[in-house]
Amino acid sequence: MIELHRVSKVFSVGPVKVPALSDVSLRIAKGEFVVLTGASGAGKTTLLRLLYRDDVPSEGEVQVLGEDVASLRRSEVAALRRSIGVVFQDAKLLPARTVYENVAFVLRVLGTPKREITPRVFDALRTVGISARAQAYPAQLSQGEAQRASLARAIVRQPSLLLADEPTGNLDDAMEAEIIGVIKDIRAGGTTVILATHQSRLVRALRRRTITLEGGYLLKDEG
Amino acid sequence: MLGFLIGEALRDLRRAGRVAVSAIVLITLSLAALGGFWLLSSNLARAVANWRERVRIIVYLKREPAASEAPALVERVQGVPGVASVVYLSKADALKSLKEILGKDASVVAQLPANPLPASLEVTPAAAAATPDGARTLLRNLQTLPEAEEVAGSSDWVERLSQWQRLVTTIGLGIGAVLAVAAILTVTTSTTLILHARRHEMEIMRLVGAPEATIRLPLLLQGMLQGLLGALLALGVLVVAHELVAPRLEPLVNLTLGLSHLQFLPLASLMMLLGAGTLLGALGGWLARGRREP
Repeated sequence: MIELHRVSKVFSVGPVKVPALSDVSLRIAKGEFVVLTGASGAGKTTLLRLLYRDDVPSEGEVQVLGEDVASLRRSEVAALRRSIGVVFQDAKLLPARTVYENVAFVLRVLGTPKREITPRVFDALRTVGISARAQAYPAQLSQGEAQRASLARAIVRQPSLLLADEPTGNLDDAMEAEIIGVIKDIRAGGTTVILATHQSRLVRALRRRTITLEGGYLLKDEG
Repeated sequence: MLGFLIGEALRDLRRAGRVAVSAIVLITLSLAALGGFWLLSSNLARAVANWRERVRIIVYLKREPAASEAPALVERVQGVPGVASVVYLSKADALKSLKEILGKDASVVAQLPANPLPASLEVTPAAAAATPDGARTLLRNLQTLPEAEEVAGSSDWVERLSQWQRLVTTIGLGIGAVLAVAAILTVTTSTTLILHARRHEMEIMRLVGAPEATIRLPLLLQGMLQGLLGALLALGVLVVAHELVAPRLEPLVNLTLGLSHLQFLPLASLMMLLGAGTLLGALGGWLARGRREP
């Protein structure tokens, strides 16, 4: 499913080279739920960005769904991303569109037949428990609801891989538990999940395979 | 998918707001200017064509040939290169013609002791000889006729009219081009603003793997819509201006150019103006997309 072989990523800030990932190798099988943890700046977001090909490694090889992501052409990148759902700490909902429109937007840009859009959007909204708020605008949602809407948008295409970058970073404990519950449900449907978080309490509560990064190095891979 | 793309393009157009309105107004001005000069030029071209057909060269004869000699003379002149047709006018024909021109004052002619008018040949040049050079060559050839006393007529003034027509076309193209460049830049600016307003949507579209064409096409379409709207407004301006101005100008035009009316642009030209507007808008949209690669 996912394989990183001696991956390094260095950012250049003017003449200064800033290493974000150093010599990271790991393998994640289909259907796994993996927690990626580490302090801020440890390289979690960089690693996720390499997986959905928002960036390419400076060294090493990143294989996702059987593809060497660095060698993909633009159209192939788009095809790869259709199999990947991504959620962020900020939900990144489009403010001028309702929850329904935000989720439907994804299907519409991918050319989904019109008659399929509404049932699929409501399936996704029901899965994350927000179908009652379908006509609300993002500004009218709580942070937990916004994150649920973001999850609905990520899973409406039924991706085989879900990448969640600090999805509960802005939430209180109750909302966090709700979102984690939704992500577990999604994983139960067969989707591989990689959840990045800096919250050690959440890592302990999840009791899943945990990959710990520190200063860009893979410190631990356990569970 | 097409419905989605057009919907997004309309949404983008609304987002661009006043800058899009400025772009549309500039496209309207440029195409109205271009169309106005085109209208003027096409009417001048009609006048030039009419007058070219009416160019005649008159060969005044030294003496009136006998009735039996006239057909042979006509046939010989007919054979001169550049001659389309020849009509023989006897002295009597010329006098009759003069009387018709004088109308109620024709009685003056009766007081003449003798018919002073010469017999002549009215020569219509072929199309190739209706140009200034062609007409000059034909004049030289006709002057070599032993029967010719004097040869009169030229197409110089028609050519001067033709030069005016070309000048009007050039001025129209020049003004249209300057305004068109301004219009393209304004569409580019409005599209750049849209790109800024759309950056979150484009980010989401890329994130979910939308094809690049789906991401970019609405930008191009909204540019084309701006162009098309500008062109439609320009056509409206031209129609109204023609309806208002043409009836007032027609007496003058009739007197000076010999045209009975000012003709509006033909359908093909209107379609070309619409196409040009759409193309201007598309170019503006495309330039903006070219400047902002992800």
